[in-house]
Amino acid sequence: MKKSFAGVCLFLLLVVALFSTVSAARVQVRISGWGGSDQPIIEEMLRLYVTPALEKEGITVLYEPIADDFQRYIVNALSANTAPDLFYMDIFWAQSLIQAGQVEPLDSYIAKSKLLKKEDFIPSLLDAFSHQGKVYGIPKDFNTLALFYNKDLFDLAGVAYPDEHDTWDTFARKMEAVSKLDGVYGLALQPEFARMGALAYAAGFKTFEQNGKSNLFHPGFKAALEWYTGLAKSRAGIMPADLGQSWGGGAFGTEEVAACIEGAWVIGHLKDQAPNLNYGATFLPKAPSTGKRGNLIFCVAWGMNKESKHKQAAFKVLEQLTSPEVQQWILERGLALPSRVALTDNPYFKQNDREAQANYIVFRGASEGNVEPFSFGENGGRWMDPINEALRAIMSGELSVEEGLREAQFRLDQEMQR
Amino acid sequence: MRRSIKEKTAPYVLLSPYLFMLFVFFGYAFLRCFYFSFTEYDLFAPPQWVGFKNYLNLIQDFQFGLALKNSLQFAVIVTTLQTVLALLLAVILNQKIKGIRFFRALYYMPSITSSAVVTLIFMWLFQKKGLVNYLLTSLKNGYRIIAVFFGLLLMFQAFLVIGEKLKKRPVSCFEPSYLFLAVVLSFMVTFFLVKTGIVTMVEGLPPVETVWLNTKKIWPRNHRLFGISYPLGSIMLLNIWTTAPTFMLLYLAGLQDIPKELYEAAAVDGATKIKTFWYVVRPQLRNITFLVVTMGLISTLQMFDQVAIIGDQAPLDAVITLAYYVYINAFPSSVSPKIGMASAAAVFLGLLTLIIVLIQRIVVNAGEGD
Repeated sequence: MKKSFAGVCLFLLLVVALFSTVSAARVQVRISGWGGSDQPIIEEMLRLYVTPALEKEGITVLYEPIADDFQRYIVNALSANTAPDLFYMDIFWAQSLIQAGQVEPLDSYIAKSKLLKKEDFIPSLLDAFSHQGKVYGIPKDFNTLALFYNKDLFDLAGVAYPDEHDTWDTFARKMEAVSKLDGVYGLALQPEFARMGALAYAAGFKTFEQNGKSNLFHPGFKAALEWYTGLAKSRAGIMPADLGQSWGGGAFGTEEVAACIEGAWVIGHLKDQAPNLNYGATFLPKAPSTGKRGNLIFCVAWGMNKESKHKQAAFKVLEQLTSPEVQQWILERGLALPSRVALTDNPYFKQNDREAQANYIVFRGASEGNVEPFSFGENGGRWMDPINEALRAIMSGELSVEEGLREAQFRLDQEMQR
Repeated sequence: MRRSIKEKTAPYVLLSPYLFMLFVFFGYAFLRCFYFSFTEYDLFAPPQWVGFKNYLNLIQDFQFGLALKNSLQFAVIVTTLQTVLALLLAVILNQKIKGIRFFRALYYMPSITSSAVVTLIFMWLFQKKGLVNYLLTSLKNGYRIIAVFFGLLLMFQAFLVIGEKLKKRPVSCFEPSYLFLAVVLSFMVTFFLVKTGIVTMVEGLPPVETVWLNTKKIWPRNHRLFGISYPLGSIMLLNIWTTAPTFMLLYLAGLQDIPKELYEAAAVDGATKIKTFWYVVRPQLRNITFLVVTMGLISTLQMFDQVAIIGDQAPLDAVITLAYYVYINAFPSSVSPKIGMASAAAVFLGLLTLIIVLIQRIVVNAGEGD
């Protein structure tokens, strides 16, 4: 009896040992990003490109989509040591993770890599994910803001389309004119720095001055605020919330507004929700005082977990995820803009198709005028909260521009002292 | 002897699973939180001892002041109103009428509906073009019709009651059968008047477009300290509506425990219904009221879910509560967690709850003396 028991144990041990050597040859790399529309895209991309390329090396990739607040998830997962090997890092909060020492610096891997070189990527994107001269994230795509307008509504009103020569003043007149149409407002005015900020940068505003503080009474910021909220006084502009919409693209899709300021993400939304909408895209209008435009860069990169057990394998996956073939595929599907320099002269952009043209405008937005990354240092998203609140209060008539600015500056100073 | 030891240990053995949970998920968590409140900690680097710095920062933080104000307003107003409403509902549903079980079930519905779903529905009701504003607009435009209806109602009822009184019959002013007749009659007459166009809706008034959620407006206006913000007021309504039925159930149980003899004795002594309620029913329900108020205070001081779900629909300043303040510090948008600040605020909230409940106990005990 005892003997046979020992025999069984030995057999089991052997089986376990055998299987563990088999599984040691196969490495599973866990990668994580957002759920929703990203999930089918990533899964298809893995199936078409990444899995076949890594099959020989015995690396399998598992995508773990997170439907809820991704940043909260990744902070918790990293602190609990359950985080995936590779994960999305938004330009908006990447620095907080990098500075907390949770992300693996990639320089030594890049130095040895044949596929991935620093100079292949757009420098300003790479800079946003660098800290003290080291690279912590490889940008997978990016976005900027562009002006989307409804061609049919402008034709109907007999108003010229907005174009790249517009300044704030000429553009406002066009909005005023097109809003004469019944049931149509001009521009969708989201009460957010993520839209209005591009105009403030155009007028010369800097997020942080040399003493590290933010001055909302900067003439450029004030001018942009006055212009943006001023549109809401007539029908030339309206907050999407007043139309029961949560964002500008939503109101644009239902043709309640003639124009909106959005990034390339609105293209996918329009394709789904308003496939027959005849729209065009152009650059944001120039600030009359400086004659320049401004823009914000939104960007997501892949970062590597510092505590990952399969760092070499994870880097191989990373090479594939940001390879030229994958970026070309993503671009042609109209999903996002490539972060590789070599794709600037892509034939896709020259197509006579509204989606390709809109993508091209968004792509070129990154190099037109005063462009700033959508990130606010140590303060994170809380830097914008007082400004967003002021925008909302001014546009709904609760505060004057002067009162709103004073309130926002007071709250911002409080926030930055924390 | 051995048996008695067994008997003595048995309760502790039976209690141990719960005690284990209590020590791990409450005791340990509380001690950790208390410790973290004196440190600076971002979940990654080891905690740094900073003494009372977090508490000092709390006092200086403008948003913390707002959260404290909102929480206290919310706790006082919601607890008071929901206790009164629960008692009223219980008294009404304690009557012996047909189909009372159906009404009890119906009135209890809001409490068993998911708070997340109810909040979403409320958000739609309170939209700028939502149902609440639509009803207010209808009320405003149709005030003539409503006035005519109630005028007629009053007239018919007075007519019927006075007619009976003239015949020297004992009749109450609110005689139900007459009231029913008066309602039917005045409805018919009003309907006729509207159809023939004699009474019309008011034309040309602008529709009510009050912004209920996405605003920092307060009521009463210009009272920065005591004014209640519109969105918080909306959440209060919602919260009262969903929690009152739970407490109604407790009151109902209490009402059914009151012996019939007390009512009979009061009736023999010639007490009116209101006097019976005040001198007989209310004191009998004292223990339940204590329970309801205590539970109400604790749950309202910790209100979190409805603020979280309303999210971007309302400005944070207008709805932030202490529990939500703890949350946004523990998981701030796009920066490292500030666990120290969050823990300090959580400890403060715990102490505040304790103090308020103690005060309430003292008040209730003092009331017992007379």
